[in-house]
Amino acid sequence: MPLLNEQVKEQVKQQLDGLASPVRLVMFTQEFECQYCAETRQLVQEVASLSDQLEAEIYDFVADEQLAEEYGIDKIPAIAVVGEQDHGIRFYGIPSGYEFTSLLEAIQAVARNKPELNDATQAYLAELNQAVHMQVFVTPTCPYCPQSVVLAHQMALASPLVRADMVEAQEFPYLATKYQVMGVPRTVINETTHVEGAAPESMLLGKLQEAMASEEE
Amino acid sequence: MDFEPKMPPMEADQENGVEAFDLVVIGGGPAGLTAAIYAGRARVPTCVLVGTLPGGQPANTAGVDNFPGFPDGIGGTDLAQRFHSQAERFGARIVPEAVIEVDFTERPFTARSSKGQYEAQAVIVATGAAPRRLGIPGEDQFYGRGVSSCATCDGFFYRDKQVVVIGGGDSAVDEAIFLTRFAEKVTIIHRRDELRATKIYQEKAFANPKIDFVWDSVAEEILGNQTVTGVRVRNVKTDRAQMIKTDGVFIYVGMEPQSDLFRGQLELDRQGYVVSDRHQRTNVPGVFVAGDVQDPYYRQVVIAAGTGAIAAMEAERYLGEYP
Repeated sequence: MPLLNEQVKEQVKQQLDGLASPVRLVMFTQEFECQYCAETRQLVQEVASLSDQLEAEIYDFVADEQLAEEYGIDKIPAIAVVGEQDHGIRFYGIPSGYEFTSLLEAIQAVARNKPELNDATQAYLAELNQAVHMQVFVTPTCPYCPQSVVLAHQMALASPLVRADMVEAQEFPYLATKYQVMGVPRTVINETTHVEGAAPESMLLGKLQEAMASEEE
Repeated sequence: MDFEPKMPPMEADQENGVEAFDLVVIGGGPAGLTAAIYAGRARVPTCVLVGTLPGGQPANTAGVDNFPGFPDGIGGTDLAQRFHSQAERFGARIVPEAVIEVDFTERPFTARSSKGQYEAQAVIVATGAAPRRLGIPGEDQFYGRGVSSCATCDGFFYRDKQVVVIGGGDSAVDEAIFLTRFAEKVTIIHRRDELRATKIYQEKAFANPKIDFVWDSVAEEILGNQTVTGVRVRNVKTDRAQMIKTDGVFIYVGMEPQSDLFRGQLELDRQGYVVSDRHQRTNVPGVFVAGDVQDPYYRQVVIAAGTGAIAAMEAERYLGEYP
């Protein structure tokens, strides 16, 4: 049974119409598929079929271990949204519910390859000299969450030093526990700094600067 | 899990430019999207700036049981999505941007988001209401670490845990019932000795073995270390304080109109609601208002939608007279 009904398919087609450049959805699952691996694979394949510019690549987390390592993928289900370059945009867990928005936004952002961020944010990211890892914890029933995911992905797009993950908390409860996630969205920057709620761009930038400053100490 | 993919709003074509429409609707909840449906059908070029919560308050609600036409009830997100699709079907441009500044001093009116500027000959303000905060110690400190106002977002994290819900209205009781899907025990703390919620919610709550009540009590402090461990409440009749152990605090103590953006430009009442007449007109000709931002009394999806329809019909009439 398809995950996307005809009406949603039509809307997605419209939205993905005229993607400026090709985008690959690099998906990792495994032979005995994990709880939401099968659905995630199916979702990726269905979305990829809706645009000529999109391609789904399905890999096995175990058999293609080396490739997973190259993409920095350490858990499944995982999707890397990759354009001419890999910007470090990842989805861990199924991007369903409200997070479907984040997936479509990521595809379009990668195809455009032009960050939509304020001048101040872009200027700061251009000066970055350390690696940044953003993990945005979400649940699929959280209407506020895509804002945080899209913003983190935009930052990844803007700087080769930034990688940004959506992490679906219900599928990775050990990570939710590790990072003490009790509410979403929650953005964890480099393991140490975190932001609660759908922070506006200026606030996230402030937190990022804080995180970088604390690492330099 | 909810697999139903939610469609995002379409992107605007502009880049830091100015886009002009006959009608700009500020807010993408039931009021704003209903206004867009009516305006679209009247062939008024319309743009909806949806703001920070696409779909409005229903998107943040487990289920809606009192919207006519859905005899079995409907999921809040599902209903919001349907409003959205219907508005788009009739041609409204729906933009996922939040307005940060408006100028209603002369036509064309302007609304600015972080991404661009919008001009309009008429405006419908439908920014809704947001959860009120308690303003007690610990509330901000533990926000996202045990304090929440979104049960659909965060309920999952309280599987087999104990939570309290503060409030006694529809939202409080409905979300308390929703939270029993996850939590082993839900305690409703209410400042009166009876609930304000609709009877059908009350019946469900009283019949639910996982829900208990602390009456006549107000929360005074949220306590915790890394995360919430308890809440200190005071009985308003006996003045006695007690500690309630809990892992999470969900706060539903009413709503506040989202009208700060319009202060100084539109007439607001003392509570901050936009003042309007029965035709949804504000004190500025050409600026109309709908939904919870002008409604301190009813705050229902069906009424927000109704006022949205009135505002759109009046805006159309206004544009006809003053094109």
